[in-house]
Amino acid sequence: MSNGLLTTAVGSYPKPDYITRARGRFQRGQIGAEELTELEKQATAHWIDIQERLGMDVVVDGEMYRGDMVAYFAENMSGFTNSGLVRSYGNRYYRKPIATGPVGRDKEVTVDWWRYAQSLTDKPVKGMLTGPYTIVDWSFNEYYPTREAFLMDMARVVHEEAVDLVKAGARYIQIDEPALSVRPEEMEMAAKAFAIVTDGLDAFTITHICYGDFAAVFPHLANFPVDMLDMETTNSGYDFLDLIRGYPSFDKYVSMGVVDVHSHVVESLDKVKSGIRMGLEVLSPDKLFIDPDCGMKTRTEEECVAKLQVISDAVREVKQELGLGLG
Amino acid sequence: MITTMVGNYPKISPDAKAPSLRTAINRFDEGRISLDDLKRVEDEVTQEVIQDQVDAGLDLVTDGQIRWDDGQTYFARGITGYTINGLIRYFDTNTYYRHPIPEQKLQSNGGISVKDFEFAAANSQRPVKAVITGPYTLARLSQLGCYDDLRSLVMDLAGILNREARALQAAGATVIQLDEPSILKHKDDADLFAEAIECVVDGITATKALCTYFGDASGIHRRLFGLPVDLVGLDFVMGPANFDLVADLPEDKMLGCGIVDARNTRAETAEEIAETIRRLAATVPMDRLHVNPSCGLDFLPRPNARAKLVRLVEGAKLAQGSAS
Repeated sequence: MSNGLLTTAVGSYPKPDYITRARGRFQRGQIGAEELTELEKQATAHWIDIQERLGMDVVVDGEMYRGDMVAYFAENMSGFTNSGLVRSYGNRYYRKPIATGPVGRDKEVTVDWWRYAQSLTDKPVKGMLTGPYTIVDWSFNEYYPTREAFLMDMARVVHEEAVDLVKAGARYIQIDEPALSVRPEEMEMAAKAFAIVTDGLDAFTITHICYGDFAAVFPHLANFPVDMLDMETTNSGYDFLDLIRGYPSFDKYVSMGVVDVHSHVVESLDKVKSGIRMGLEVLSPDKLFIDPDCGMKTRTEEECVAKLQVISDAVREVKQELGLGLG
Repeated sequence: MITTMVGNYPKISPDAKAPSLRTAINRFDEGRISLDDLKRVEDEVTQEVIQDQVDAGLDLVTDGQIRWDDGQTYFARGITGYTINGLIRYFDTNTYYRHPIPEQKLQSNGGISVKDFEFAAANSQRPVKAVITGPYTLARLSQLGCYDDLRSLVMDLAGILNREARALQAAGATVIQLDEPSILKHKDDADLFAEAIECVVDGITATKALCTYFGDASGIHRRLFGLPVDLVGLDFVMGPANFDLVADLPEDKMLGCGIVDARNTRAETAEEIAETIRRLAATVPMDRLHVNPSCGLDFLPRPNARAKLVRLVEGAKLAQGSAS
């Protein structure tokens, strides 16, 4: 690869107001799908451009065309219907999918968007999927007799999508499993499902995990069937690094979150640099990527760009200090 | 047999004519309406969700916890010494709360939930159950902060929440429920837990309910059944092993039966619910049962939550009819 410390992002970016308005108008039948898609493409190009200008190494399409990370897939796959609004926390709500029949995929879900984003840049664009365990855990189930039956069906469907992304040319496939860290007793089942997804994929595989008790599931994470763990680390005080330290045979790549995505405050350069240095105490630069804690869709564009900028500046300075060169 | 809720109820309604708490909170955050305006909407929504419960036919209602962001911060914000930190996931649910941290030794600052209880009681045609997040769970879902160990945090909270329970009792609460899901995840702490519960209920003559959910009580159920409370609530949906434990319930205790899945939209039929009640009543007579959803209903969209309550009451009637 390069000199290490590659910069990337977890997935979502804030949607410009014109997208939020257009999504509303589309839902009310006031504009057609084509008009909405054109605007989503415009916003995607905008975010690709921002990432290029910031010099990020591995970029994302920003998910301008997605609402919720689970609902998006449920809406584009068969077997699901959408529920009414349920609360996530505070005053935030989302529509939770309901499995009402066998889950399946009639067509590619994300591949055209990946192709479009990759056509705009020479930087590698990650193929972005939501993992089977998270889709199952974050859906209601009115069809399958057991969670395991639901999960294994779901894993086969996500695998099909991953295969199509790789065929289209994606070199990085990220399969997000933020639900993973909360139920240690189901980690084995979750890993079995994830292995179905990554089976035979000719790509660098990543999974994003956040906001849970990592200590309780760490041995499972250290042996998860994936190349890289993308972790929320800032919000949890970099405790994850201690877990790695205490597990000498750990050999995964890690993408480490160094800015909090739920705070309006932009972290100082020194704070981010100190986070990166903490990561380098336990991982070599070639095994360590740097990114925000989580998707950034809840921030404003100004906050988001400022946070990405401080990551970019901090990585550049740390590389200089370590004599890693600028790649 | 009493039909009731565990605690919370969905805050927003798909009915366009209903007062919207979601909109009101957004407007308040943007500085477009005053705190009084926001409180007025909270009052209206509380009245609405109490009416939903009364209309469904519940015997014992709650205020729906419309004003609570979650069970932790609602109390922590009312206790001197706590600050509120970043988001953390609530058990194995896809919901989050902000992590309370004791920055200094915690102290009671007077009644936390008393005004809200009084409002609900004044606006309900049915008795209102007061709900307190128990000291063990509140401590477990906080950080330790300035405390050296879990025990000292739990016992400080127990003392503070005893004052809360006494204040609720003085305000007229006839049923006070302590929510303690965390003990099911840390069964080794049963001794500390017992000490904390004894402290909270000291001096309380109202009906005392201890409510657990998100698992089964195997291994500690005899300890729970032996505590100085009048009712022990168990979750028979996420903890089917609880069915095997109820035979050990002493005859002077009531059983809280979480038998409708509060975390899935699939609507149980009245017959399914009646069958579960009959199964439990074979061991614990119906007049010692409270029947309710498995946990708070805020995990569901409002229409599904309402349907669950309607079915629960239908199922209870069916079970009672067939028994008489």
